[in-house]
Amino acid sequence: MPSNSIEVEHFTKKYGEFAAVDDISFSVEEGSIFAFLGPNGAGKSTTINTLCTIQDKTGGTLRINGNDVTTRMALVRKDIGIVFQECTLDQKLTVRENLKLHCDFYEVPRPEVADRIRFVLALVDIEEWKDAPVNALSGGLKRRAEIARGLVHFPKVLFLDEPTTGLDPQTRASVWEYIQAIQKQKGITIFLTTHYLEEAEICDSVAIIDHGKIVAHDTPYELKKRYTRTTTRIKTSDPSPILRFCTEHSLEWTREDGGLSITTKEIGPVMDLVSLFKSSILDLEIDKGTLDDVFLSLTGKEIRN
Amino acid sequence: MRAIQAILVRNLIKLFRDKTRFFFTLFMSGLLLFTFSFVMKSAVAGLDHPMNYLISGIVIMMVFQSALNNSMNILEDISSGFMKEILVAPIARWQIAIGQIMSSTVIAVLQGILVLVLGFFLGLRLDPFHFLLMTGLMVLVGLTFSSLGLFLAALAKESTTFQVLITVVTMPLTFLSGAYIPTTVLPSVLRPVVYLNPLTYATSMFRYAALHMESMSTAQLVKTGVAFDIHGFVIRPEHGAIITLAIGATFFALCVRQFRKADFSRVTVFKRGGHR
Repeated sequence: MPSNSIEVEHFTKKYGEFAAVDDISFSVEEGSIFAFLGPNGAGKSTTINTLCTIQDKTGGTLRINGNDVTTRMALVRKDIGIVFQECTLDQKLTVRENLKLHCDFYEVPRPEVADRIRFVLALVDIEEWKDAPVNALSGGLKRRAEIARGLVHFPKVLFLDEPTTGLDPQTRASVWEYIQAIQKQKGITIFLTTHYLEEAEICDSVAIIDHGKIVAHDTPYELKKRYTRTTTRIKTSDPSPILRFCTEHSLEWTREDGGLSITTKEIGPVMDLVSLFKSSILDLEIDKGTLDDVFLSLTGKEIRN
Repeated sequence: MRAIQAILVRNLIKLFRDKTRFFFTLFMSGLLLFTFSFVMKSAVAGLDHPMNYLISGIVIMMVFQSALNNSMNILEDISSGFMKEILVAPIARWQIAIGQIMSSTVIAVLQGILVLVLGFFLGLRLDPFHFLLMTGLMVLVGLTFSSLGLFLAALAKESTTFQVLITVVTMPLTFLSGAYIPTTVLPSVLRPVVYLNPLTYATSMFRYAALHMESMSTAQLVKTGVAFDIHGFVIRPEHGAIITLAIGATFFALCVRQFRKADFSRVTVFKRGGHR
């Protein structure tokens, strides 16, 4: 049975009277990709910072690989790799110097340093930039260099705080490829926050946080099943029997430019409808809910604001 | 140990890599040395070793200011985000402090030695023993004021405020330490400030070594402004070393404490996105 890499129980963080994070509990299975979603100010960074041992908590217990982040800080720090939202590379040093420095900080055995650096540079595909000073790199390259650095000490858990924010779609896609490659190759646990819901789709589990509370935590599939509805658009030569069917089965429908739009919770009634009226249906489009819809229905806001 | 060494190496790489800054540091040292030694020449005309007197004052100020300024570089690390990388690494806070203080001291002392060497061309006379003794004292002063600088930097919430603060603090300290203007000519109202100024003792012991004053009596030392007679309580230059060391140790301890509790994640100046 797989164990949990991250365990959070009743975690609370208050600034004065205001609770940035209000009694949240969740766990992340070892070797999985976990996404933490929420609007700005929902408590994502507070949670990450506390898990990364650089911020105090007000209450609760947080453990990484069984080590409490407050009492066994040193062990936790050795086990984790972090890619922060902002760039935390030394801009004046080269990519390789940054990685070397990181190895010294994490006590990577000296004989292994050169090999490890080569390995991570290859993993994110930036070998040719290894001797360039960081401030000469583009945003995407910096991000990749930072991911490489977060991995060079072979952490068991990798935290990615908005790893693709501010990148163009193409770079975003390639950063994701690297993240997935790493996860497959090294089997590490990945904890990430993101604004991009399509990125959360490929995660093993997703937690949605709003106003410091977790409002839902499940696989993307289950979340969509539970919190969204399916919209079916039908173009037909003969709408009246279909409308009658809808009324009989109390399905919600609206007329939409020359066709019908039927909204259902389950896919079952739609399948029945389609098989019954196969001959009169000219075109069919089924829209399953997205995580965007889940997010909207749970928090009442769009994620990008 | 490895982390301390890594921090030291990193700061030295950065010093030599930033060519403009490096050049200006050298240039300023030279400029200060030449200007002051020419301007002040007449003021010290009656002394035995006028150049030793002047240059020792200039060198120790240089070390002091450089140490303080170098420690301030940590603010740059905080605002650039790099500090976060250090803080999440499995390194003890005292090791981070030692690494920073050592880098800052090494750079300050190198600068001091460089000015001493330049001083030889302007008439500074030193034997190897006193040269080494002065180097040792520069290390002491460097360590003390790097600790002070780092402590202040760790307290700072914003880097511009901090720079103003540093200037406000260093200007009077410099002029009331005897480094440029002999303390003996200062009005007596300012005496208490002179005695409370840690730089006074750093300067006096440094000058004591530079002027080979070992054979002088305490009364003579007081007269030249190297020892101090505070209503019968005499502070000799050797005591100055102890005072400097004590101040250094105190600020080092404060520094480590401040590092432990400081939440540097909130000092970040340039942010990309909202944080909570």
